[in-house]
Amino acid sequence: MKKEMGAKAFKLMIAGLFAISATIVPVTASFAAGEALGAKCTTEGESTGTKSTSLVCKENKSGRLVWAKVKLSDSNLAPIRPLRAPRGSIEFWHWRAEDKAIFDKIIADFQDLNPGVKVTQVISNSTDYTNTALNKVRSNPKAAVVTTFRGSQFNQAATAGLLKDLSNEQFAKRNVIKSMMGAGQYQGKQLGIPYQSLFNNPVYNIEIFKKEGWKLPKKFSDWISYCKTAKAAGYVPMAWMGAFRPQALQIINSSLMNTASTDAQLNAQISAIDTGKDPITIKWVKDMAGKYADLRDAGCFPDNPKGVTEAAGNTLFATGKSPILPTGSFSMGGIVKLNEKMDGNMGLTGFNFTDDVNARYTGITNNTFILGINSKAGRTEQRIARAFISYLVNGEVATAYANGTKQHVTVLDVEYTDSNLRNTASIMSERLVLAPRFTFLNQGVRDILEDALIAIVGGETVDKALEEGAKLIKQKLG
Amino acid sequence: MSKTEAGARKGASSRPQKSGPRGRLARSNDRAYFLMAIPALLVYALFYLYPTLTNLRYAFSEWDGLQEAKFIGFKNFTRSLTNDDTFYKVLGNNIEFTGLVVIFQTALSLLFAIFLLKNTRASVALRTLYFFPTILSSVSVAMVWQFLYEPNLGPLNVFLNSIGLDFLALNWLGSETITLRAVAFTQVWFHTGQMMVVYIAGLQQIPQELYEAAEVDGATRWQQFKSVTWPMALPTTAVVMAYTTIQSFRAFDLIYAMTQGGPNNSSSILVTLIYLTAFNEYRFGYAATQSIYLIVFILVLTAIQRRLLRTRY
Repeated sequence: MKKEMGAKAFKLMIAGLFAISATIVPVTASFAAGEALGAKCTTEGESTGTKSTSLVCKENKSGRLVWAKVKLSDSNLAPIRPLRAPRGSIEFWHWRAEDKAIFDKIIADFQDLNPGVKVTQVISNSTDYTNTALNKVRSNPKAAVVTTFRGSQFNQAATAGLLKDLSNEQFAKRNVIKSMMGAGQYQGKQLGIPYQSLFNNPVYNIEIFKKEGWKLPKKFSDWISYCKTAKAAGYVPMAWMGAFRPQALQIINSSLMNTASTDAQLNAQISAIDTGKDPITIKWVKDMAGKYADLRDAGCFPDNPKGVTEAAGNTLFATGKSPILPTGSFSMGGIVKLNEKMDGNMGLTGFNFTDDVNARYTGITNNTFILGINSKAGRTEQRIARAFISYLVNGEVATAYANGTKQHVTVLDVEYTDSNLRNTASIMSERLVLAPRFTFLNQGVRDILEDALIAIVGGETVDKALEEGAKLIKQKLG
Repeated sequence: MSKTEAGARKGASSRPQKSGPRGRLARSNDRAYFLMAIPALLVYALFYLYPTLTNLRYAFSEWDGLQEAKFIGFKNFTRSLTNDDTFYKVLGNNIEFTGLVVIFQTALSLLFAIFLLKNTRASVALRTLYFFPTILSSVSVAMVWQFLYEPNLGPLNVFLNSIGLDFLALNWLGSETITLRAVAFTQVWFHTGQMMVVYIAGLQQIPQELYEAAEVDGATRWQQFKSVTWPMALPTTAVVMAYTTIQSFRAFDLIYAMTQGGPNNSSSILVTLIYLTAFNEYRFGYAATQSIYLIVFILVLTAIQRRLLRTRY
């Protein structure tokens, strides 16, 4: 008995030592890297980055601001190394065709590390993926790594028990930024790892703003003034693409973000619309929709806004005919492909739909591209998927992915070298909210509301567009 | 003796009896034919009959495509008819789209066929040119026309504006009143060449003597068309119209790639609505009901077509 106790105490001691060293080593390393040294800590909450060694500015017991180790992950321990995969083949299902090349390289490296393993990408466009992927992977034992969009698709997969619980996986606790994991949680379980950190905020042309001597709009009346000034100067103030609802209504996030005084209230009022408890003719929606009419009347949108395709909108921005692309950080890669000169010439700005510069939120973030393991896949395939996801959330691999695709990621220890990613750093200082658009869980209801907003931009009156939409929602949910 | 037994005997006695080597051969042939039909029958049952019957079952259910379906009786059917403006709007779109495509595609393909009937070099070259769109994929066609129709940068409006026809430079894919017609025009452009080839094959079968006789009688070109070409081309027209109708119902890919049924469902037809209901909103049960209505719609249309054509002949 005594011997047993001794062994137990010894094991505990070893575990304790390991935990302490895992905490101390990164902190020491960060000081060694000179991350905080020399920079005075002046603003509480300011952080030196998203590394496992990063520091945060915090008030100490005596009320002084000091640098302290930031606990970004769900654990005090350092990120784990990628897991080993058993032999076999799996499919990796996603919608990001633009990431294929970089994933090909990542997969090749993963396969080299794990001989006898084959990972095949199965890619479809985002609309098809939203609509058909879950049904297809459900009966496909090879489709082991499945990505989902935040919101209704993730919710659908979670409700159907399609995603394996990753709550106890060490990589889910130690390799990723905890505050960005909410989008992959369902009923207290971590069913997926949101891999990307997006910013659904307007992208602006730095050079044009500098050349014209314009300041970035900070409140709604600034936006109205900006539109009038830009239009007078011969620009299309916003390269808005009304013919493609998913991108056109990225701005619904900004218009929703300050419609309630608390997050709980915002969620509750969206849920009330989603479930038909409140009609979209309710005051707060009407007020929000009225802002679209104000923007329209100020000439913010292109001519014939409802007919502008995604390609045309991107072209307007990439060619400098429009200084603002009201979509988000994810569009930047495509813009650079259209015009190389735009590389490093883009920044992100918040879109405040209120006239209060101190509004609760000034910008949007979204954690999506949720990596999950298909619980209907074969057992070996699930093990390979687990190893593959642990590989993707490794700092080095995620660095390659982030810089290669011009996306921010939710993984610790990522070094952003791309100038566009560095330029977007300013948005991080905004007060960001997780994109409220995806709080709508009924896609049909959301589509009707968004169609009404598009109709308003196209010239319809607020009352008529919302009344027609309300009628359709009532029928849909009736 | 029971009635059933009596009936069975009666039936057996009325059937011609096969005996001897010829009878055995016939029976073994019957068996062989039956066996040969089995694979096709299985494929038909598996890929057509089973999904159709399953669809019928889901039409009476509330089902999100992933979890267990819940039986709800005729609720989906009554909802479509009594409480779904979108369904009626889309049904109307479908009738308009099919009507426009059938009329214009048939008329244009006949016109082109008449002009390009002779096998001259120029005719063959033009036939190839007109047929060309048919070999393209519908998504490529959609992308090209999306670009052409773009209201501000698109070549169509740029051209119209440059020649002073600004009033014709419309919001082709952004206006609820025009989009469906713009898409229908693309569909006509896409498939007219194919139907032209069918017409050419049909028109080349018309005996030359009939035209010679008409000429001797002093018939003008128009009279020749009215009294010779058109009546003789009616069987081909029937084929062209039937095929075009089917094509217009299957225009899902073109419409979806061009407009996703928008703006505000103004270019949706029944197949796009069914797809969006099922895969966008995860209402598979209701989509199954809509597809039953689509079948009924097609049956009614086919019956009308058959009746009209029967009257003609």
